Amino acid sequence: MNRLVLLCAGVITILALSCTPGEPLVAEKNIVLLPVKNDPTVNVRIWFKVGSQNDPEGKEGLTALTAQMIGDASTAANSYEAIIEKLYPLAAWYAASSSMEMTVVSGRTHRDNIEDFYPLLRDAVLKPAFLDADLERLRSQSLNYLENVLRYANDEELGKAVLYDDIFAGTPYRKPATTVASLKSITMEDIKAHYAKHFTRDNLIIGLGGSYDEALVTRVRTDLAALPAGAPPEVPPPAPAPVKGLSVTIVEKDAPATALSMGFPIDILRGSKEWYALAVANSWLGEHRNSSSHLYQVIREERGLNYGDYSYIEHYPNGGMRSKPPQNVSRRRQLFEIWIRPVPNPTRHFALRAALREFKELVDNGLTEGAFTLTRNFLRKYVLHYAPTTMERLGYALDDKFYGIDGSHLEMFRKTMDGLTVADVNAAIKKYWRFGDMHVAVVTNDAAGFRDALVNDTPSPITYATPKPAGVLDEDKTIQAFPLKVSPEKITIVKVEDLFAK
Amino acid sequence: MLRIVAGIMLFGLLTGPAAMAQTIFPYQYTREVLPNGLTVYLIPMESPGLVAYYSIVRTGSRDEVERGKSGFAHFFEHMMFRGTKKYPGSVYDSLLTSIGASRNAYTTDDYTTYHLNFAAEDLRLVMELESDRFQNLAYGKEAFQTEAGAVYGEYRKAVTNPWLVLAEKTQSLAYDVHTYKHTTIGFEADIKAMPEQYEYSLSFFKRFYRPDNTVILIAGDIDTRKTMEMIAGFYGAWEKGYAAPAIVPEPPQKKERTGAVSYPGKTLPVLNIAYKGEQFDPASTRFVAALLLGELAFGETSDLYKKLYIKEQRVQMFGASIPLNRDLPLFEITAMVKKVEDIEPIRDEIYATLSAFQSTPVSVQRLADLKKRQKYAFLTGLDTPDRVAGGLARFVALSGGIEVIEELYKAYERVTPKDVMDAAAAYFTPEQRTVVVLKGAQQ
Repeated sequence: MNRLVLLCAGVITILALSCTPGEPLVAEKNIVLLPVKNDPTVNVRIWFKVGSQNDPEGKEGLTALTAQMIGDASTAANSYEAIIEKLYPLAAWYAASSSMEMTVVSGRTHRDNIEDFYPLLRDAVLKPAFLDADLERLRSQSLNYLENVLRYANDEELGKAVLYDDIFAGTPYRKPATTVASLKSITMEDIKAHYAKHFTRDNLIIGLGGSYDEALVTRVRTDLAALPAGAPPEVPPPAPAPVKGLSVTIVEKDAPATALSMGFPIDILRGSKEWYALAVANSWLGEHRNSSSHLYQVIREERGLNYGDYSYIEHYPNGGMRSKPPQNVSRRRQLFEIWIRPVPNPTRHFALRAALREFKELVDNGLTEGAFTLTRNFLRKYVLHYAPTTMERLGYALDDKFYGIDGSHLEMFRKTMDGLTVADVNAAIKKYWRFGDMHVAVVTNDAAGFRDALVNDTPSPITYATPKPAGVLDEDKTIQAFPLKVSPEKITIVKVEDLFAK
Repeated sequence: MLRIVAGIMLFGLLTGPAAMAQTIFPYQYTREVLPNGLTVYLIPMESPGLVAYYSIVRTGSRDEVERGKSGFAHFFEHMMFRGTKKYPGSVYDSLLTSIGASRNAYTTDDYTTYHLNFAAEDLRLVMELESDRFQNLAYGKEAFQTEAGAVYGEYRKAVTNPWLVLAEKTQSLAYDVHTYKHTTIGFEADIKAMPEQYEYSLSFFKRFYRPDNTVILIAGDIDTRKTMEMIAGFYGAWEKGYAAPAIVPEPPQKKERTGAVSYPGKTLPVLNIAYKGEQFDPASTRFVAALLLGELAFGETSDLYKKLYIKEQRVQMFGASIPLNRDLPLFEITAMVKKVEDIEPIRDEIYATLSAFQSTPVSVQRLADLKKRQKYAFLTGLDTPDRVAGGLARFVALSGGIEVIEELYKAYERVTPKDVMDAAAAYFTPEQRTVVVLKGAQQ
């Protein structure tokens, strides 16, 4: 057991090194170190406090594109081609990614190659070349994603994008990504100005992990101090409008199956006991990509309607591509979300009812003592799998700084499990979750037909190609008539080609 | 997404100082074969309290020889979670849930893998559960039919992706008789009919889920002696009896094949050029050179990649896949092009590149750079028990063991620029080629 604790142990230290007087350095408080001597790699994460919330009106996507111009483009010293050529024999990489509030330049190399690797990463941050050819290549990639992939080839992500847009309408979180029009309007001057304003030495946190040496720490601190000083004022946290009743957006397209996402904003962040209590309830309801999820049991396991059914109390981008939570997508306002993977179109109404009914049962009745104990025991060890690598642990360490957590979130997660009671969990459910006031995003065909069925609360019996136990069939009778009470004015139908246009 | 990363990325050549060691694989391990034929690899490694546990069944969609049964290996993977009399599915689930184990499974063309990650103190419980379900799986017809619905759901999800549509078309056109004709998830008609195959599923289990067709691989914080004793106790009574399917070899292709497929959605067009390759054979320098050729000719530092992707920006994605398979796979070069009228010119540039590699030796420096890359990709990729065990799984499937990695390593050392030329000439000929163009129905 003691050895287990080591994995997430507090080996993260805040740097305390003496430095040559007079030489400018990135401030000590902005350094996070995670030494791991037996890891042969050096891992870097440089976090700039800028994200899509900082994109100017009409220029949505600017932060993401600026990040790409750092992480995936030429520098003053090397063309993009030369960078690829130099990284190639090292099997090393660096990249930049941005989310709502964070932009992180990360990289990893074997320690044998740090002298060849580090200058490439440094130049990317300090001296991006901002060449037109790079911009057009990257812009074209993003346009292809919006115009082809998101609209037409990934209904699940499409449904989620629509949901986030609805939940955070009118706030700086308004767009999860960007629009075709805004992407096309971004100029090189926009990117240079955004870089100059936000990628400053006072707006960053440096994270180093693995088998780096102290000389590297000093070198990184010295080098990055060459960035301009100053930091732009913080964007106020978003205050999404409260939702009343079920508010449904139906995306009409020739969809072979129906993707369903639903949720609402929640005002709680990791680090507090209540958050960990809510995490137990959420894990029971819908642990991501895990058959322990209750929604998964009801919709997939017992009824075979789809491939998986999960829930979240933190934003969880690219859920289809990962099995454990991402790092460095921290934000000051979170959402509760239920994700129902595509179901056959004739069962869409039933699946929506089944998911919302299970949620209502949990909100009304809380967790049982048995479910609580099982889930708490599960999480106590399961969170060990959230960060098995140095790079992931370094990501968590930066997120701890974002959330102001003194110590380690993952360690706190495990420790808090011991002190929790079922009453704590059920109190958190009552405080933060409510049934009936929720945004729902649906990607499906025959949108008008679904709207009518929702407005009329039309019963939605389903049939199975195969026999089912009597218990399931009995429960189906309740589910198929479960009232959702959607008002007609709360349903919007949009055409897929109009999404993310402008 | 695009399958451009060949297996050699994980287990590449080791050169330089580390090559002084006798072996490429950096961890000591123990191998044992039980009297019933079960092969076991134990790999102790520094990993604070975590263990990765892989059960690899050397059966995949390649073994689906009977008509109407495509996709069955993958479907059966789902059934393995339905439990036994002693530990019904729900009990199995709740026990693993109570110990916070991370668990999953996947099926490929050549094998099926069941994997768990958990705390070292829970090894005995995990082994009891895993050994039980492999020997005593029991499920009723209803559960079987419900799972068939879930698999069809998985297909519906996958088919919204143009890459599956492209793979279905390419494989079906390139192969006449071999089971690589269908993708791992199977033909849609077969998936739809799965609920009717209950009896067949029982025979599938009896034929393939046998110790002499299975390899157990455990990496992480373990004690080798105690773990091996436990294995003998839990798996010793499992009866051997693997019945290998009669897989019909694909006859040589004599003429180029071309085809087109429409994706019922919107996508940039994709050009896929597939050559009949060769089964995994580390003793063949020519085959090993082909693994390197894929990177040299079409990888991210190749001249053609730089021209099409970086300079001219005519492709959205570009790369080659030279897979490691038990039987003859397709060596594929794939380009997602930005303009439909560019498909033919880009196709011709790919052909010209292959011709150039057939007649001009690659520079010694480029080959050395690639070998160095293989080494560091290898060394930095084995950082958790799960990655070690997961990275070994395909080699186990190919050969029944992991020793083959050392053979592959020695073969890489042998490869010269001349060998790369020979590989280009041997595999990439017009008569062994199948060319498929995918276009979106909505443009």
